[in-house]
Amino acid sequence: MVAHKPVWNDWCPGCGNFGIINAEAQAITELGLDTNKVVIVSGIGCSAKVPHYIRVPVSGVHSLHGRAIPIATGIKLANPELTVIVNGGDGDLLGIGAGHFVAAGRRNIDIVVIIHDNGVYGLTKGQAAPTLRRGEKPKSLARPNINDAVNPIALAVSSGYTFVARGYAYDVKHLKELMKAAIKHKGLAVIDVLQPCPTYNDINTKEWYDKRIYKLDTLPDWDPVVRKPEEVNDKIKKAIDKSLEWGDKIPIGIFYVNETVPSYEERISSISPAYIENPPAKQIIEKEGKLTTIIDPFLKEREVS
Amino acid sequence: MRISWVVGGAQGTGIDTAANIFGNAVAAAGYYIFGNREYNSNIKGRHSYFSLTISDKRVRSNTESIDILVSYDAQTIFEHFQNIKNTLIYNPEVINTKVDAVQPMWPETVERVKEFLSSNGYEQTVKGVLNYLKARNIELIPVNYDEIAKKVAEQLKIPLSMAERVKNIAGIAVSYKLLGLDVNYLIEATNKVFKQEIYKKMNETAVREAYEMANAKFNLKPLPNKKRYWLDGNTAAAIGKVYGGLRFQSYYPITPASDESMYIEAHQDVLMEDPVTGDKKKGTVVVVQTEDELAAINMAIGAALTGVRSATATSGPGFSLMVEGIGLAGIIEAPVVITYYVRAGPSTGLATRTGQADLMFSMFAGHGEFPKIVIASGDHAEIFKDAVWALNLAEKYQTPVIHLIEKTLANSYSTVPEEELELDKLRAERGKIVENVDESYVRFKITEDGISPRAFFGKVPIQYTSDEHNEEGHISEDPVNRTLMYEKRMKKLETADKEIPEEERVKIYGEKDAKNLVITWGSPTGALRDILEETNLEFTLVQLRMFSPFPKNLLSKLMEGRERVISVEGNYMGQAALLIKMYTGKEVDSEILKWNARPFLRDELENALIKVMKEGEKRVVLNGGA
Repeated sequence: MVAHKPVWNDWCPGCGNFGIINAEAQAITELGLDTNKVVIVSGIGCSAKVPHYIRVPVSGVHSLHGRAIPIATGIKLANPELTVIVNGGDGDLLGIGAGHFVAAGRRNIDIVVIIHDNGVYGLTKGQAAPTLRRGEKPKSLARPNINDAVNPIALAVSSGYTFVARGYAYDVKHLKELMKAAIKHKGLAVIDVLQPCPTYNDINTKEWYDKRIYKLDTLPDWDPVVRKPEEVNDKIKKAIDKSLEWGDKIPIGIFYVNETVPSYEERISSISPAYIENPPAKQIIEKEGKLTTIIDPFLKEREVS
Repeated sequence: MRISWVVGGAQGTGIDTAANIFGNAVAAAGYYIFGNREYNSNIKGRHSYFSLTISDKRVRSNTESIDILVSYDAQTIFEHFQNIKNTLIYNPEVINTKVDAVQPMWPETVERVKEFLSSNGYEQTVKGVLNYLKARNIELIPVNYDEIAKKVAEQLKIPLSMAERVKNIAGIAVSYKLLGLDVNYLIEATNKVFKQEIYKKMNETAVREAYEMANAKFNLKPLPNKKRYWLDGNTAAAIGKVYGGLRFQSYYPITPASDESMYIEAHQDVLMEDPVTGDKKKGTVVVVQTEDELAAINMAIGAALTGVRSATATSGPGFSLMVEGIGLAGIIEAPVVITYYVRAGPSTGLATRTGQADLMFSMFAGHGEFPKIVIASGDHAEIFKDAVWALNLAEKYQTPVIHLIEKTLANSYSTVPEEELELDKLRAERGKIVENVDESYVRFKITEDGISPRAFFGKVPIQYTSDEHNEEGHISEDPVNRTLMYEKRMKKLETADKEIPEEERVKIYGEKDAKNLVITWGSPTGALRDILEETNLEFTLVQLRMFSPFPKNLLSKLMEGRERVISVEGNYMGQAALLIKMYTGKEVDSEILKWNARPFLRDELENALIKVMKEGEKRVVLNGGA
């Protein structure tokens, strides 16, 4: 086991991040992943400190605000052997990084995106974030929020994510299972984790959520899995429909799963077959300084004759 | 020997293809070529033209004066007639076209042409232009392109609408005859482009028909055909990068950078050969077209952390968006190459045209201080070699490398002799990499030279953060750590400054101790080298190839004891001259500047040098090019 010196965790007491990081560490451990081959990529904000604080010896990139998904994409495509998990807040992933969130769906790259969804920008003292509903006024806001909220589930499903789930930061056991399923899923997975911010969001508190949350798998006929491509439209509609349920009752669990869509890695191999066996990270581009790539055919195409 | 040939027409009508066929046919006869493409930010309809210089020696620039102008429409004639020195090939059907009637022409150009014609006493039509040219003994060759198309249609029994496609090649063939080269070179070059039998036949028929319409006057004789490559800047960079081991490239479409990424996409299946065993293995260069330039730079950074040589290619507006990412690469010490195709800004500016105004931006992009390596290529062979150099520098010094290539180098091409590529000299240098890592490994070890041994994801847990961090890569705001870690990063630039010989960062041409010293960078180098080789002007030419770390000692020494130091660059501020002053404390005596978004032309530059050297002008501003 590699030495991993614990870093003191500076999240506020009661922060939902504790539940998320514990679930993440447990999921990685229980799946028996080679921790040398796990990379957690985060953006900026409270959520972004996950790679520093997680108590399993994995790699981490605590990057730029909004840019965790592109960085994770670069890592995964260059070395597909790695398990790559993105952690970001709703401001990070659905505000400043919203373009990447949508574009990632179009690619269906085999990574996991975990949204720390608390409706506020915590580290800058509680401004309204993309999932805060219009008219709401947490104590950190001077006036009520006049922007409408993004629906992360509906956005993910319509962007092309092939595993879409919602978890709750204080139900670690349930969240851990969702994370395990997301990591195992072949393709792009997102988990929208409802997470109280005890410091700035005094509306969506633990008490508020505890009263409302129920699990989708308790519904007798809930089946989010696409088994044949023909089922896609119907399952998408059902997932979006369910995602609109917000108020007295808030569902958590898996909203949509579709493994009939090829992952981005498979799409690359379909046009360049050597990619599977010899992805960028495995290629020997030089030996003792001698460049190995054969460019004669490229130059031949350009030869004056 | 130097012949200047220009073909112009409406964008989207095959001018480029025709120009390439012509260039191929001339090069096949053993001649050297330099060709540059000028076009508007438009898909179809506006004026585009291709300038080609033909020489019996290696050539690296075009001139303002035109020996042969091949035109199909009125606008080409209006845009270029003032520079014609020998022959105009034109379509007689357009002779009554008025300047005012040419709608795709910029209103300012229309007014200038009208003013020129009326003040010289000519009517404001093509006919007026023809009379003006006649009075100057320019040969005028009318070519009725419709007639040729009709003949092709009749001979091959194909519909006229189909045969009309031969018009471009017909104009080319008339001009080819003027050179006096054998028609078969042109037919062969045409056959290489058109694959289908019927098109081959159509074009061959048109070529033979048109070739007979003029008389040879330049009387070129075939030269021995040395091994040469046709390289434009985008392709040279692409091949260089792949050869240098690039295996991940992310990009967002932008002129004039995308052609490089598209070339790599088309050639992403690569073969690698073990130099010892000779075993061959297939691989893939992953190319991702991203949603924006923010994604492009950050994906490349992500890939770099896995030990893969990675890069992005962009232009000014895209680079502006990448700046935050470049700072990230700086602080997490990620080796990433940004191939920066410089076009004319600010903002959208002139999106398809050239300039050198982004030098300072590339030097200083990013908040905070971090080491950045900035190099600039001066010709197509250099672009190829520098692409490998950039990948080496990025890994050796674990920091972003910016490779500047101007639009005019990207979209021009030349026939590059094989030996200029120096394939046997190019090597990989990957810097400090630890193969056998254990639990004691830390990514940001404080070292004497500032370079910490690098390991990659997959072997051992590694932490990176955009925050200031300690040796382990965890956040630390401790003041002492901050001082040390900051210094460690900055030291890498000092190490690079020590390790990279200044002689490699500067190229010197011409007599070493001439009275006049001319300093330039990037594309003007080509025109200046041609001036050195072709004229009696005497000067020492210094081409700056690396701006960071700056070759201050050598440059300072070179500037000493000269009668006059002259800088030549494509911007308003004289940015390289300002950097020279910043690093050496020395000022240039005269500046030759150009910011009209067109490349430096050999003859206008020669005249400017004369003004500066003989008359002592302090600042000459050039405005050549249509």
